[in-house]
Amino acid sequence: MANSLGTQPALLPKSPPVSTVEIRPQRRNDTSLADEIFSSTLIPTIVLDASLVICQVSDSFLEVSGGCRRENVLGLDANDFFHQAMTFFHPLASARKAIHSAQETKRPYELEDVEIDGKAAWSVRAVPIYRDDSLRYIQMEVKDVTEEHQRLLELEERLSVNETFRVFVETVKDYAIFMLDPTGHVATWNAGAQVFKGYTREEILGKHFSIFYGPEDADTKPPRELHDALKDGRVEDEGWRYRKDGSRFWANVVITPVYRDNILVGFGKVTRDLTERRKTEEQLVAAYEESSKLKSEFLANMSHEIRTPMHGMLSALTLLLDTKLDEPQMELAKVIEESGEVLLHVINDILDYSKLASGSFSISADIICVPDICQSVFRVYEKGRKEQTLLEHHLDPRLPRAAEGDSFRYRQIIQNLMSNATKFTEEGYVKLNVSLQDEDDDSYLILTEVVDSGIGIPRGMTGALFNPFTQFDNSATKRYKGTGLGLSICKSLAELMGGEIGFRPNLDGRGSIFWFTARLKKVRQLKHIEAMQEKIESLAIDTPISPFEDIQTAAVGKRVLIAEDNQINQKVMVKMLKGLGFDSVDLAADGRAAVNMAVKEPPPYNIILMDINMPFLDGVTATKEIRSAMIQTPIVAMTANALKGQAESYIAKGMTDYISKPVDRKRLVKILTNALEQDAQRTQREPG
Amino acid sequence: MAEDRHDGDIMSIPGATDSIDAATFEQILEMDDDEEERDFSKSIVYDFFTQAENTFGKMDTSLEEKNLKTLSELGHFLKGSSATLGLTKVKDSCEKIQHYGQRKDETGTKDLASDDEALKKLAAAIKQAKTEFRDVEKVLRKFYHDDS
Repeated sequence: MANSLGTQPALLPKSPPVSTVEIRPQRRNDTSLADEIFSSTLIPTIVLDASLVICQVSDSFLEVSGGCRRENVLGLDANDFFHQAMTFFHPLASARKAIHSAQETKRPYELEDVEIDGKAAWSVRAVPIYRDDSLRYIQMEVKDVTEEHQRLLELEERLSVNETFRVFVETVKDYAIFMLDPTGHVATWNAGAQVFKGYTREEILGKHFSIFYGPEDADTKPPRELHDALKDGRVEDEGWRYRKDGSRFWANVVITPVYRDNILVGFGKVTRDLTERRKTEEQLVAAYEESSKLKSEFLANMSHEIRTPMHGMLSALTLLLDTKLDEPQMELAKVIEESGEVLLHVINDILDYSKLASGSFSISADIICVPDICQSVFRVYEKGRKEQTLLEHHLDPRLPRAAEGDSFRYRQIIQNLMSNATKFTEEGYVKLNVSLQDEDDDSYLILTEVVDSGIGIPRGMTGALFNPFTQFDNSATKRYKGTGLGLSICKSLAELMGGEIGFRPNLDGRGSIFWFTARLKKVRQLKHIEAMQEKIESLAIDTPISPFEDIQTAAVGKRVLIAEDNQINQKVMVKMLKGLGFDSVDLAADGRAAVNMAVKEPPPYNIILMDINMPFLDGVTATKEIRSAMIQTPIVAMTANALKGQAESYIAKGMTDYISKPVDRKRLVKILTNALEQDAQRTQREPG
Repeated sequence: MAEDRHDGDIMSIPGATDSIDAATFEQILEMDDDEEERDFSKSIVYDFFTQAENTFGKMDTSLEEKNLKTLSELGHFLKGSSATLGLTKVKDSCEKIQHYGQRKDETGTKDLASDDEALKKLAAAIKQAKTEFRDVEKVLRKFYHDDS
């Protein structure tokens, strides 16, 4: 075999002459050169002669084929060897085919051999070597291509997955899935999108996605959504989206920015139609609200129905208690009375609660005087206080004396808190603090606090305090009675008054602080402005005169008598009254004259302004005479005696109102307005 | 005449601030139909001058007669009109006269020891009232451009 390989000297003489020095030893060793190449090549190689006998094998082949020894392989018939060796070196199974094909085609032939378990892949190459058109050798190489094979497989797989996804996205009809380019223009379109939105692919590609939004959102929402998607990695939104035909559907939209190699290539947009789900939700909510309202209405009606006979029973009981009862009877009646009152209280609570829950509760807007209400509630509890309990109140002097609010409901909250505080305080104190927390142009914010040194609220109960039917004393031997509705009612009432309610522990060792706020509107009408403000207004020099249209209208056809002995004051008063629109003003220079002028039938005057100190008959006596003649004309005292209490005494003596001298015009307008109203009511009651 | 021009603001006249209540007097001025002529307020003010002179005359007589009751009534009478015009100082003095005439102290709360004490205080109060009247009279005349 070495000989046959050595018979190839023809290749060598073509070398350039400069290398003659080295040619000589190579020429001598040309067989060993081929041997060296083929035995040492790193590519596993077998060389066969034309009769397919193995004439050379490389060390690398021996190694990969599982450790055959060279001397056992050389000289073997290739087919025999392959047949034997293929059991432990799989690619040899393909070797025969490669060699055969190479012989047939007279060209190098390569095929791939993949082991059955797919773990290894081999490339088998047969290279026929010819000289003078006759086959001399076949060189066969076996190469491990497992890695390349694996890569190829993966690539194929990836391509097929991409394709699957593309088909899937394009055909799915339950979601609109499409891409936007980085500026928000539609780049792809799927069947779902076409179904949802009604645009065909040709119509929509290249259009900006704001086309799907309603006019109220189109300008602001799309750019914001893209911005948010970039910022947060995704954005989700629910809202109305519009179809090509203008109809709308309730959509859930998810927009995700898509990056390739860290470069934004666009946004993926997935839209779902939630119209049906939304409809179902709305129906559920409506059904729930309806049933809850019905329940509350039922409660309200029932409580109302119970309350009426309850009142009857309690009034009958009061009458019964007034009759002669012996001691055991009295005791029983008292028990009924007490239980009846508790029951009534419970019913009232339930009625309030159910009204509040059904939303049929309204807060009235009367003119209320906060300090008066607080004081009157306080007085009730002061009367019934326990001996060991100290009751105190502190009212902010800035509290409004007139504001718009619901006095009954405001009182109800204070009463409830005071009642709790006194109920749970055996000794120590209960304080009522009311202050003006805030004030703006339109309203006052009143903070009311009830501070006690009672048993306090256990930690952990505070959260549920204002929930309905909560009582932290749920022990079998309940010491304190109640429905557990009180605070929840207070909470709703406070909220209806634009305020809040809250609790905090009393830092003074033990006890509770319950507080609530109420926002009360400022009173705008002239006649309700409180006395303090009037004073301030009258002192303000540069304020322009407020319009007196009201009084000017009211003054038409009204007759006024001024009883005043000082001519200067007469003149000023007449002028002032004429300025206010009273064109019929009579004068009396003393009390006697005033009585003579006023006591006539029918009473000639709508208002009498009466000076107090006058000759012959003073104002008070004159008023007495006029009243004893059954003349009910409003009489307004005019006095420079600014002593406190004196003014009240004039009212006690039959006068209607009073005004101090010097007479302030604004104040006079108010007093005249009131007096005229009173006069109008009087003449309505007693016509003629 | 330059110094007599007050741009219609009486309070800019020296002596006005502590003898006249601006708001009250302003109210009288507002009743004037013509702000140049000021017929109404002028007539009231001049009536008051006359009334004050007469009342002071009666007070002098009553003081001589030691008629406390009449003095009290006169004090009250002049108090009423001075109050209406906002002539605070005169009004306050007249109130004192009213109280002294009732044999009370100047605030009207405590009784005085005797008629003599009351008369002594009355004489002083009437004198004070007259002075204050003269002062405010000057201011008012200046306001109405009357240099007589």
